[in-house]
Amino acid sequence: MVNLTIDGKQVAVEKDATIYDAAKACGIKIPILCHDKKLHPFGGCRMCLVEVEQMKGRLIPACTTPVTEGMIVQTTTDEIVKARKLVLELLLLKHPIDCPVCDAAGDCDLQNLTYEYKVNMNRFVDEKFNHEIDYENPLIERDMNRCIHCGKCARICDEIVSYGAYTFINRGIEAKMGTEFDGPLNCEFCGSCVSVCPVGALNSRPFKFKARWWALQKTKSVCSYCGTGCQLTLGSKDGKVLTTIYDENQGFHNGQLCTRGRFGYQFVNSDKRLTAPMIRKNGNLQEATWEEALAEVTSRLSAGKSDPASVAALATPRLTNEELYLFGKLFRGTVGTDNIDHSAGYAHEALTKGAVASFGVAASPAEIADVQKSNLLLVVKSDAYETHPVIGFEINLGVKRKGIALRIVSDKKGKLTRLPGAKTTVHAPGNEVALFNALCKSVIDQGLAAEGVAGLDALKAAVADATAEKAGVTAEEIAAIAKEFASAEKALIILPIGQGYPGHNAALANAAANLAILTGQYGKEGAGLLIMGEKNNSQGAVDMGIYPKGTGLNAAAIIDGCANGNIKTLFVAGENPVVSYPNRKKVEKALENVEFMVVSDLFLTETAAMADVVLPACSFAEKSGTFTSLGRRVQNVRKAIPAVGLAKSDFDILNALSQALGGARYNNQGEVFTEIAANVPAYKGLTQAGLKDEGAVYPVALSAKLVPAAAQASAPVAGKLTLVTGSALYHCGTMSRFGEGPMYVCPDAYAELNVADAAALKVAEGDQVTVTSGTGAVQVVAKVGKRVPQGVVFSPYHFGEGSVNTITDGSEVTYVTVAKK
Amino acid sequence: MIMPLIKGLQITISHMFKKPVTLQYPTERPDVKPGFRGLHALNVSHDKAKCVACYLCPTVCPAKCITVEAGEDQNHDKYAAKYEIDMLRCIFCGYCVEACPVDAIRMTEQFELANYSRADFTYTKDRLLEKK
Repeated sequence: MVNLTIDGKQVAVEKDATIYDAAKACGIKIPILCHDKKLHPFGGCRMCLVEVEQMKGRLIPACTTPVTEGMIVQTTTDEIVKARKLVLELLLLKHPIDCPVCDAAGDCDLQNLTYEYKVNMNRFVDEKFNHEIDYENPLIERDMNRCIHCGKCARICDEIVSYGAYTFINRGIEAKMGTEFDGPLNCEFCGSCVSVCPVGALNSRPFKFKARWWALQKTKSVCSYCGTGCQLTLGSKDGKVLTTIYDENQGFHNGQLCTRGRFGYQFVNSDKRLTAPMIRKNGNLQEATWEEALAEVTSRLSAGKSDPASVAALATPRLTNEELYLFGKLFRGTVGTDNIDHSAGYAHEALTKGAVASFGVAASPAEIADVQKSNLLLVVKSDAYETHPVIGFEINLGVKRKGIALRIVSDKKGKLTRLPGAKTTVHAPGNEVALFNALCKSVIDQGLAAEGVAGLDALKAAVADATAEKAGVTAEEIAAIAKEFASAEKALIILPIGQGYPGHNAALANAAANLAILTGQYGKEGAGLLIMGEKNNSQGAVDMGIYPKGTGLNAAAIIDGCANGNIKTLFVAGENPVVSYPNRKKVEKALENVEFMVVSDLFLTETAAMADVVLPACSFAEKSGTFTSLGRRVQNVRKAIPAVGLAKSDFDILNALSQALGGARYNNQGEVFTEIAANVPAYKGLTQAGLKDEGAVYPVALSAKLVPAAAQASAPVAGKLTLVTGSALYHCGTMSRFGEGPMYVCPDAYAELNVADAAALKVAEGDQVTVTSGTGAVQVVAKVGKRVPQGVVFSPYHFGEGSVNTITDGSEVTYVTVAKK
Repeated sequence: MIMPLIKGLQITISHMFKKPVTLQYPTERPDVKPGFRGLHALNVSHDKAKCVACYLCPTVCPAKCITVEAGEDQNHDKYAAKYEIDMLRCIFCGYCVEACPVDAIRMTEQFELANYSRADFTYTKDRLLEKK
């Protein structure tokens, strides 16, 4: 620790702290324009000038000067104030005074400092800039006339997002923040630059002119897209969520959000939201009252109680823990059916079966904080960035700042591949289990296995014939990864799972866990296995037991049950099986066949349109409760706006049904959380109030065991391409389609081809192509690049039009032909 | 006793020769003094409202009677797509005029604001625009 004196206050700070950090630690505010706590110090704005007794004679920047023992610092002498005024005058020389029309007014550091330092005149005269304003971008508007050259946009894009869309161009008075070739911005549109811009040079277009910062009601909540569990602050006004507000002190990610979190909130305010219940009459859905709709559902479920096996229920893992708990209690308890699930059967098996078998708990043994505490990250699929972008940022930071080694095993290359020192092993699609088995064998062969591991002999026998060639990679690559992984002090495996990844099931979780257990890389900080559930509350749904147990049917079997008439009543809470489950035709036929289907959802989705009763549900912004992130962090979700139209939260819907069917009745969701804390062991001792803003990570008691995993043989078929499905960066599930932001950037389904395949097929970027499999055909737009290897075609699964599940059937890989339309 | 009576009569008689102070409204109109705060008007410049929808007037309005919604015109400039004052709530404090950074709103001398229905007290942008 280093001791110093700032404005007469004694303070002790870490030796790598700067004067700015030390002042902040003792509550002294030093004005600053170019600093963000996530970024490296820059020292560009010169607002933070301070005086140091030992360096008398000149003013020095506080944000880049490290503290030294015995330093005596003054932060506000007359000379300092004069210097800061000069800085502001020089900045205002070029900065246009268009505060009335600038969206940053009220939340502008330059404006606030100008006011604070009473800069009401300027001694200098010059012409303002006349840069062309970039209106072309659908999400980020760039007005470089307002830019104060703090460089935060370029730094965050480079240091954290690792995209590098901005840079300083030109020099001296001509200097400005530019893009490549000074053209329009063409990036992944995460909006990080907008969030850190201290003035109004970068603005969010969806929020443009909507409201003033001070008029917004700020509600701290949790993002409703992926399982990362990013906290966000919703800015709402007049019952609408208008923006998300950046707070560098929020969450493990320090306020960092991805494009979905930042620009995908508009689905909450969508005109397409359901506002009243609907009942099918004479073949058409017609508006009805809640009483009518609930009476209809109650009578059907009540009839189903006498034959519980004929009732099934599917829930989306986007519901709160309280809603999911109530969902389980209603269907498993009151109605008496075990046919409940929360996604397409396989999407969470990695947790419910894989993790349970290998570690004894249905949760990841590692947590998100472990990413940056590790020495080596082994990422399965480069898509870890696309499925969970903020975890991608954590990986970026770990690799670039802490020198963490990054190894990727994937069926295609991705953004993580380009990180410094990253090595990507591209394997044949669907061979992940074979690859992990080969890694385990290599660990054993190289004598790197930890001593005394239970079940080693069984594993040895199971992986005896596992070879690198079976996984489509070279033996050298396998041996190198195995050696690095085993010999790293702390190594962590990152495994994304979800509806887009049919092969990421229990077997893969077991295979990955085997590697961690075999090498002793678990049960300690920075090591283990991080199984990343796709949706915002995938982990919560597992914790609440929303998956088939005993003789219960899983989602895929429920669809089969609907098709063969065994399931007569189907309750769907927020799921959209028609688009997200494999084999669309089969799902549609099954849902047509079911006698009675009720869907509660925000929108009249493809599935809701087929229902007999549609119940309008609330979005995450309209209700309170808790979500559990993939890192086992239970976090508070808070109501920001009133319900849209007559919509009710799924809690209210399920509570009303439960009461009508003779089950439990709760006064509010808080009562359910209390019951969860009493009944779900991991949640023991938690209270909603006790979660506060930061949430709580529940502990896991591991009992690790090697569980041999059988690899499916998957070999390329001559003349056909291998279809890999997955997630697109801008979308998550099927809900993001209702957000303007994601749809501006990624509006249509596409098929990504390798340049060589595209050339052979005479397909160019943007062409319409028909992708045909044994299940069906779908027409999508072609994307051409070098990301996917030759022989592989990638397509995201989110879209209703050109939906890729028309041609998939749930198997690990699908062989397709691609032809220009 | 008699003196006060005479004094009183003097005053009465003197008023008989003075001009009356009351106005015969509505045939006679009052002379509105400078600074009088009557109905608002939106100033016009270059054939459009000067208002740039900066939201300062609704922010300072203590009665919360002003509703502004900004829009983006074809030049990507900000303008008041909606500007409404609920005159039933307005307390004629004039803060909106003081807060306006672009001199877009003023208060006129118009004080005859009585009406029959609630809706008629909602002054939309069209009704508030300075009439030429």
